Amino acid sequence: MKSQYVNSFYQATQDVFRLMLDINLERGELQVIEDMISSKDANVVLGVTGDLKGMILFGFPKKMTLEMVKIMSGMEMDRIDGFVSSALGEIANIIGGNALTTLAKSHYICDIVPPQIFIGEYKAVSMANEKALHLPLMTSIGEFEINLFLKEKE
Amino acid sequence: MMWKEKYKVGVPLIDEQHKELFKRLSEFIQVVQSKIPWEEKLESVRETMLFMKEYVIIHFEAEEAYQEKIKYPGIERHREVHAAFKEEVNSYVTLFEQKGLSEEKAQEFSAKLMTWLIMHVCQMDQKIGEYVENKGGEIQ
Repeated sequence: MKSQYVNSFYQATQDVFRLMLDINLERGELQVIEDMISSKDANVVLGVTGDLKGMILFGFPKKMTLEMVKIMSGMEMDRIDGFVSSALGEIANIIGGNALTTLAKSHYICDIVPPQIFIGEYKAVSMANEKALHLPLMTSIGEFEINLFLKEKE
Repeated sequence: MMWKEKYKVGVPLIDEQHKELFKRLSEFIQVVQSKIPWEEKLESVRETMLFMKEYVIIHFEAEEAYQEKIKYPGIERHREVHAAFKEEVNSYVTLFEQKGLSEEKAQEFSAKLMTWLIMHVCQMDQKIGEYVENKGGEIQ
């Protein structure tokens, strides 16, 4: 998997966090992983189709998810309900859209499949025995992760 | 309070409408999220939602008219983005009219409105302000 794919998603995440939440990201060490599993409290899966095919999995801890929605809404949130999970799904969707805009400048034309949100569910994402990349990201309100599995169309 | 100073575009008409939009959206979210039984808040959810729908249209039209007046070069793209979002809002309203207003869908709709509005104001609308500033200040 090209670093360009990772960088597009990292850059888009950084931009959206700064714009919408006033939060800076610190990048952790990129790791190769065998399985892509939604193991955090709140997980969003974005499907990618087109010149690149695959999945992007965002995983957030509960406390961070609630804080993100509090920053946007100005309201205290005490549980991950439909409002909180939809807001999280939308943020991931915006990040995905912005990342694809960047990739389109490098002539990769792709689309995003609407986000699927898994709350507190351990769910493995099928990758057909291929490896994925795991990028941990640190912020002042908690640590979250992006897992990427993208392949160029054959 | 949802409104933040960083959302300011620098054009009084747009900023006032954005403030109103965020205020009404905040009220809408508060009603949807309030801990009273769904059936009891259904009517106020419906009222605030319909107001939001109307106000989104009023605001988009005013903002586009302003862009036209100042000959804003990004107007066509801005119009397209507004139209796509209006369509999305309308699809929720149609769904609510046909299938009734469920708590789950109302939560989803209010979350979409919130994230879309914040991103749009922080990114696309800021460019209107930058254009006006580059032209040497406010264009009335």
